[in-house]
Amino acid sequence: MKFFESLKKDFNTMTWVLIPVAIAINVVMGQIVVVLRLPVYLDSIGTMLVAALCGPWAGALTGTLSNIIWGLAIDPNAFPWWPVAFFIGLVTGICANAGLFKNLWKVIITGFLVALTAAIVSTPIAVYLYGGITASGSSFITAYLLQTGRGVIEAVFSTNFLVEPIDKISTALLAFAIIQGLSLRFVARFPRPQNIEIQAGAGRTQLWIALGVVVVLILIAVFVLVRLLTPGG
Amino acid sequence: MHERLSFYVKRESALHQLNPLTKLTLVFGLILPAFLVPFYWTPHLLLLLVVFPLAFLGKVQGEYFTAVTKLILPAAGFLFVMQALFIPGGETVLAKLWFLTLTQESLMYAFANAVRIFVMVSSFTLFMLTTHPSELMSDLTQRGLPGQFAYVIIATLQIIPQMQAKASTIIAAQRSRGLDTESSFARRVQALVPLVGPLVFGSLVEVEERAIAIEARGFTSRRPKTSLREIYDRPLDKGLRWLLILIMLASLVSRIWFS
Repeated sequence: MKFFESLKKDFNTMTWVLIPVAIAINVVMGQIVVVLRLPVYLDSIGTMLVAALCGPWAGALTGTLSNIIWGLAIDPNAFPWWPVAFFIGLVTGICANAGLFKNLWKVIITGFLVALTAAIVSTPIAVYLYGGITASGSSFITAYLLQTGRGVIEAVFSTNFLVEPIDKISTALLAFAIIQGLSLRFVARFPRPQNIEIQAGAGRTQLWIALGVVVVLILIAVFVLVRLLTPGG
Repeated sequence: MHERLSFYVKRESALHQLNPLTKLTLVFGLILPAFLVPFYWTPHLLLLLVVFPLAFLGKVQGEYFTAVTKLILPAAGFLFVMQALFIPGGETVLAKLWFLTLTQESLMYAFANAVRIFVMVSSFTLFMLTTHPSELMSDLTQRGLPGQFAYVIIATLQIIPQMQAKASTIIAAQRSRGLDTESSFARRVQALVPLVGPLVFGSLVEVEERAIAIEARGFTSRRPKTSLREIYDRPLDKGLRWLLILIMLASLVSRIWFS
């Protein structure tokens, strides 16, 4: 029963009130990005905020409801993707509980892990519901990979793996910046303020570590890309 | 301005009178067969013989067909073109452009898939057009959905338009101060912070006040609450729901049986 106890603690009134605001942030951010013509979605900032402040299950609920409401009120195409949003919230929350939301380079790792999960979860949806080609722009990469003779699942997953990290890492960084801007008194009213206590440390060292992490991630992406572009690989 | 975000059109029709849960079951009773039944023309027949007549039955044909031309047809059409060109395989080659080949098989596949998505989006659109969000939520709460979920959904539908209005005010205000939202990529990335900051912090400040306000109105109280709306659940609704569940099961069985 320990699980239900902690669940009850995570869902206090502040959590219930934060969730609608977070969903609205998701939706409106998705639209601001369109106004600014940026090549990312950033539509899970609110989900990540809730996940970091109120735990994984609150994050998962925010993500799911976000997609459901997006589907109900704005674009019914958003419906089938709710499991992706669910896992984005869940994984962010788990990472935050593990202390991965406390400084710059840890947040980048959180973003990367979330991106990996999102890529894995969205692959079967894209394959079984849409036959691999969805209505989004990144499907051109998938189409190219399909033409070079790769399997549908492999092509879709590789595309997601290349596209997701950029989006999810910038989302995590923005959510982190927002949390840092909140007052301690405000944060303390949420169920898990200890998740986001900023770790003391030399700002410059952390910046270097963050750069290092980014370089390693770029190397991994380049490696995957090269392997994909070699025919028959 | 404080309008709720919803498609709902108030009319008197057979579809409007159905219980919200029945209509929700109907949505899935249309989507599952469209995706699961192995017979090729299932989604097409469902669209022509069920979805379109339902729009007339619900007296929302005008709004529905506007949504079709503006939203559903472009999305399904785009998907059709992408899939017809990009799905590999098939033997009967119809045309060749650059590295793409158009085969009869991929064309047929893309056609069925586009119609499936069409059916899915259409049935949700019809549901939204004929069901008021509060009605759905009060019905589900009476059936045992925790009140907090109903609060989250209804509150979100109210907050989104408010926040969209706030966002456009902030964008206009920052532009009038000379914020560059249209030139180079680096400039547009930089513009993100002055837009997101005021929007997010402004809305988070309200969270605490709202929490105190609803706490004072017995939000976490466990006693049964009365509802302003009365929702009817006729025997017809119950029968329809069972029928739809049977249809869903049948399509699942047909999928397993014939594959």
